[in-house]
Amino acid sequence: MADEITRMSEELARDPGSRVFVPLGDALRRQGQTDLALKVALRGLERHPHFADGHDLLARISADRGELERAFDEWDMVLRLAPAHLGALKGMGFLCFHGGRFADAERYLAAAATADPLDRELASALEHLREQRATPPRAPASVVPASLAKDSRYLFADVLNEEGQTALLLDSQGFVLAGAYYDADGTDVGQDIGAELSGVTDAARRATRHLAMGDWTSIIFETEVAVVAMAPAGQDGLLLLATSRATPLGLVRRLSDRCAARAAAWLGGGV
Amino acid sequence: MMASPFAGMLQTLSRQRGVTAALVVSEQDGIVIDGNLHIGLAEDRVAALAASLYRKARLSARAAGMGAVSFMQLEAPVGRICAVGSGELVLVVVAKTAVNVGMVRVEMLRAISELAVIARGAER
Repeated sequence: MADEITRMSEELARDPGSRVFVPLGDALRRQGQTDLALKVALRGLERHPHFADGHDLLARISADRGELERAFDEWDMVLRLAPAHLGALKGMGFLCFHGGRFADAERYLAAAATADPLDRELASALEHLREQRATPPRAPASVVPASLAKDSRYLFADVLNEEGQTALLLDSQGFVLAGAYYDADGTDVGQDIGAELSGVTDAARRATRHLAMGDWTSIIFETEVAVVAMAPAGQDGLLLLATSRATPLGLVRRLSDRCAARAAAWLGGGV
Repeated sequence: MMASPFAGMLQTLSRQRGVTAALVVSEQDGIVIDGNLHIGLAEDRVAALAASLYRKARLSARAAGMGAVSFMQLEAPVGRICAVGSGELVLVVVAKTAVNVGMVRVEMLRAISELAVIARGAER
């Protein structure tokens, strides 16, 4: 192994643009030299910023160092560059499992198993995960007081009293906790909106962290017919407020603040 | 060296006081297509995350029947990220809190029509 590392180091010294930095960094990582491996990976990625295997290496080094958020970012980047990358699919599966996001873990591991059907260890992990998910879960420690659960769709009814104003409180997985959103046909599409917004909190947090901006406070987007404001809610949740396009932005912010206060009180059992 | 078709709009946006980065990003894969600053790893990640946020906003608006998303901004205590999209492309601006966001919004919405023309030209 030491000879191999020496050989690859010499090759990289001769040709700094060589992609040998990936096996070299991985060999160093396997030896536990993660600081050195990290330097090799970062230098390599400076020259090859869109090289999926380079980001995969950085993800593995980060995972070994216990920097799971960075590992997530890097594997996320790998899957953008190479959606079927086996190492990244496995890595994301591991991270999601570790974070208790079992549905996502199953999705990644199933994709990895499809890409490599002969990997028995992977098949076994997937089977184990599916067995766990098939077991009826115990009732989670609900954040919703039982006495209020029945009325949660109307939580914001007295805060929002104009036509075209509606609010949703979503949990960290994008499931609706409170509020409702009815489309033009009168169908409650809150769950569909929540599904599309799953992961917003995480992506916003990571973006502001990379830029050292502090924790995000709001996201506002304008559409053809509405203005939508989102704000972080307790327990990694998300508050979403939609108003008509005619609503002044200052009022949108004020309404969003009121809804956030109502949601916080409700989550704390104080409503 | 030939200037990128996005260079003009990126320079215009970068001239706004408080703007620290202006980038054109692919919405699908989050890869930076052009930017007015040196693109390091952090900027790459932020561009990918901003494109992902914009995509989520667009898809949720579609699920709600709200129509197309025109402008999105994320606020944090010491900065903002703004985004507008056209087709596969997202124009991302990173700015300080004190930026004149109204002006940036106007410039970005103006740039988006240009972005659409460039994107259509590239498809041909």
